[in-house]
Amino acid sequence: MTDVTNVTMRLNGETRTAPASPETTLLALLRDQFNLTGSKLGCDAGDCGACTVIVDGKAVNACLMLAAQADGRDVLTIEGLATLERLHPIQKAFEDNASLQCGFCGPGVIMSAKALLDENPDPTAPQIRDALAGNLCRCTGYAKMIEAVHDAARELRAQADALPGHKRRRAGGEMESA
Amino acid sequence: MPRKVRVSEKSRRTTAQAPGSGGEISRVPSVTPPVAFPIETLVPQVRLQTPAVGQRVTRPDGRSHGLGQTRYIDDLAFPGMLYAKIKRAGIAAARIRSIDTREAEAMPGVLAVLTGFEIPVNSFGPSLQDQPVLADQRVFHAGDGVAAVAALTEQIAAEAIEKIKVDYEPSPAVFDPLQALREDAPKVHAPASNIYETQVIRKGDVDAGFAKADHIFEGQYRTQMVEHVPLEPHAAIAAWDPNGRVIIHTTLGRITLGRADVARTLKLSLNRVRIVATIVGGNFGGKNEITQEPVLALLSKKTGRPVKGVFTRGDEFTASTTRHPFIMDYKTGVSKDGRIIARKVRLVADGGAYCSWSETTLGKACILSTGPYRIDNLLVEAYVVYTNKTMTGAMRGFGAPQVCFAYESQMDEIAAALDMDPLQIRLLNAFDEGAASPTGQVLHSVVLKDSLLKAAQRFGWKEPRS
Repeated sequence: MTDVTNVTMRLNGETRTAPASPETTLLALLRDQFNLTGSKLGCDAGDCGACTVIVDGKAVNACLMLAAQADGRDVLTIEGLATLERLHPIQKAFEDNASLQCGFCGPGVIMSAKALLDENPDPTAPQIRDALAGNLCRCTGYAKMIEAVHDAARELRAQADALPGHKRRRAGGEMESA
Repeated sequence: MPRKVRVSEKSRRTTAQAPGSGGEISRVPSVTPPVAFPIETLVPQVRLQTPAVGQRVTRPDGRSHGLGQTRYIDDLAFPGMLYAKIKRAGIAAARIRSIDTREAEAMPGVLAVLTGFEIPVNSFGPSLQDQPVLADQRVFHAGDGVAAVAALTEQIAAEAIEKIKVDYEPSPAVFDPLQALREDAPKVHAPASNIYETQVIRKGDVDAGFAKADHIFEGQYRTQMVEHVPLEPHAAIAAWDPNGRVIIHTTLGRITLGRADVARTLKLSLNRVRIVATIVGGNFGGKNEITQEPVLALLSKKTGRPVKGVFTRGDEFTASTTRHPFIMDYKTGVSKDGRIIARKVRLVADGGAYCSWSETTLGKACILSTGPYRIDNLLVEAYVVYTNKTMTGAMRGFGAPQVCFAYESQMDEIAAALDMDPLQIRLLNAFDEGAASPTGQVLHSVVLKDSLLKAAQRFGWKEPRS
């Protein structure tokens, strides 16, 4: 209790600070301190991926990362995807494809998909499967999720191409060769 | 005319948006409350006559799920809430000599400790009340709870249960269901027999049937224990209101049954118990009965605070129900043209330490054990036995998948031995319209053969397989 330190991070685009004891995981910090309960605790051991968030562009299991390790970093959670005006295209695609049944694994899956599409805007089905390999689902199954990620990728590419003066840069070009 | 689910996505301004933030995309604020629903959620349209077939349907809760806004039990918190942990026995069969909770109670941050002795009626179960809420005299399997702690934080609670000392006198345990069937096996719930439910189906004359058969096939088939592994672990929050009612938010699927069980264990009348169920993060039959709810209610009563309990993934595997492992002996008499004349089945279901939904499971397994086939001479004997293992209960299909594995496996073996097409032997024996089930129920709308033929055609059964 004596070793409580303040952790400051860029959280969903805002600078946020909260106290954390040494054993506090990033997941516990997000859920208990910031009340961002979209990231779920499923196994607490890094197996199920329900706690997936994006830290500095990489999808991580928030249950395996200590809160203090997130100090000074950029953290994106499921709550940071939608704007007040619209759903994120991945969320929209998951809704349209009925890719979530009980929904408990959903936020983690969507964050894994987001991390993938940020790096690789045109992934193949095996690349999507690979990106979602760390996310377990027990009810919906993975087929509809993979379809949704495909749809979202298509939509995101269309949006990027439609931007005025856009250089038509395929953001993750370097990843596409993988 | 196709009807679309209409969703209004008109933009809304809220005070959370910083004025003058220019062209920057407004983000959902990450302060408490973290998110006002940014977009209107879908409202299910009910009581409207719609052309449902062929229509695209959107889940009404899909949007909340995708936004991370669905509140499961563990996402709820109440002021002053404490966290509970349950100490598991870690030993399969034992007599409890003593439980020493003093060291745990003395820990700063620990507000209450509970043992089974303090539970008004320390037994529950959907059919047989053979399961203690917390084991007090005897331990029946390693996942039995023996004590519980409510503390300010989950970490303190976890540390406190380590400091509870339980003195066990180990007793002989039985793990193999066939061994448990025997008279000389250790009795899990002594003096009661290990066989706690038996069901028999007789039809025709099975011995005469075997005498007429050209071939007799015998085989044993086994299935394993399966945990439901819902992504959301069992979770509940108990609190008492000023009128002496206990309010339990829980992941329970069967709330009325759970209410009755909670009322019984706490010795309260039904109207003193309120169960609040929200969206469940996966059930599959594993959240059909109470687990920790009475424990949390009593810890809440002791402390005067809401108490939350969330199973660890380890608790899920050891202390929640699983699918029954079955040992299935099949003896089938077949004519030389492949017609089944007689079938004798013995099912032994491993019930684990408690009954739970074993009776239902065994009954359904029994009725379905001979398959969707016309067989005039049947004898099915089914037993479910106690073993000192994690209890088994309801899971998707209630015993149907286990027996399906057995009868279809044997069907393939028979087809291979008689050099018949596996599809043909099934078509030859399959139920027709008006066929009777093993228990004499006359079946209507039987489209088994049509389904088999259509499926075979669709996936190219006739084509050579590599």
